[in-house]
Amino acid sequence: MQDIILLIVGAALVNNVILARFLGLCSFMGVTTRVDTALGMGAACTFVITISSIGDWAIERWLLEPYGLGYLRTVAFILIIASAVQLNEALFRRYSPTLFKLLGIYLPLITTNCAVLGVCLLLVEGRYGFMDSVVFAFASSVGYSLVMVLFAGLRERVALNDVPRLFAGPPIGFITASLLALAFMGFSGMGAK
Amino acid sequence: MSPSGQPFPEDRDVVESVVRVIDVDGDVVWLEPEQTSACGSCHASAACGAKPGSARLVARRFTLPNDHDFQVGERIVVGVAEQSVRRAALTAYGIPLATMLVSGVTVQKMGGGDLGAAVATLGGLALGIGIVHLQSSRLSKRVEYTPHYLRRASGIDAACGLDRS
Repeated sequence: MQDIILLIVGAALVNNVILARFLGLCSFMGVTTRVDTALGMGAACTFVITISSIGDWAIERWLLEPYGLGYLRTVAFILIIASAVQLNEALFRRYSPTLFKLLGIYLPLITTNCAVLGVCLLLVEGRYGFMDSVVFAFASSVGYSLVMVLFAGLRERVALNDVPRLFAGPPIGFITASLLALAFMGFSGMGAK
Repeated sequence: MSPSGQPFPEDRDVVESVVRVIDVDGDVVWLEPEQTSACGSCHASAACGAKPGSARLVARRFTLPNDHDFQVGERIVVGVAEQSVRRAALTAYGIPLATMLVSGVTVQKMGGGDLGAAVATLGGLALGIGIVHLQSSRLSKRVEYTPHYLRRASGIDAACGLDRS
């Protein structure tokens, strides 16, 4: 169990997808104006990343690696991610129309989020077993959601203050993000995988 | 007041989104959500499904009663209770993830191997989706999970995607 906990801490905090690997920055700046939408987006990405990791692991282990097709990895993974997103939407439209309608209005489309592809490619680098891959993908996306929610909370507070005109909007957002990144650098001393 | 007679939440407790009137069909209007500034603005929008009118956005269309004489092409702001988006997302995504991870880790720890864990994970996912289906039927009866009309979209809403910060 200790190895799973170390994997989770390492993926979510030490090597955070946004603040350490600089993935998913588009949604980080674009969807963090409110805590609720940031949390919704984080949950959606967590689901898609975790589901995609299952397909990616299977394709990598049973197709790309044995037949030396590593050069098709990016294309194959993009295909799997797109399929996972479509499958996810189709299932929710069929089985949870109320939630699909509500989330469809308030959450942006997530096929273009590079964090999804980035995490899937990191799984290959790590050469994990099946469950470790799924846990790594889940923990990475929980780290992504955590930073999204923290940043959204900070932006909501910043919006209530008098910011100098030249810093209003994205500039103060970037300064806030850099301070958040500095805070997360503290985790790098933990020495987790 | 909502059609069911239940009060809508106060304005300060509402999450807003801009939608466009696509069609007026008798007493109802068909609406299509607009994407936030983070999406649909790059050169790849046509390929990723964020372009207005794309199949993925068409699938997200929904209806509202035409109480305010809406016209095709008009942009309006709709809202739901603040906590509804959070609860809906946690229900829709959290439950399947939890059942999936618990079943997968349990089988792996019992010595099931990679294939056994994969089957258990997919089984857990199916179970989670079943639970969400049951939960969704319950939530559909609650007014706070139904978007309602707030106002016609202004220039500020249009320019910054409702970002008031």
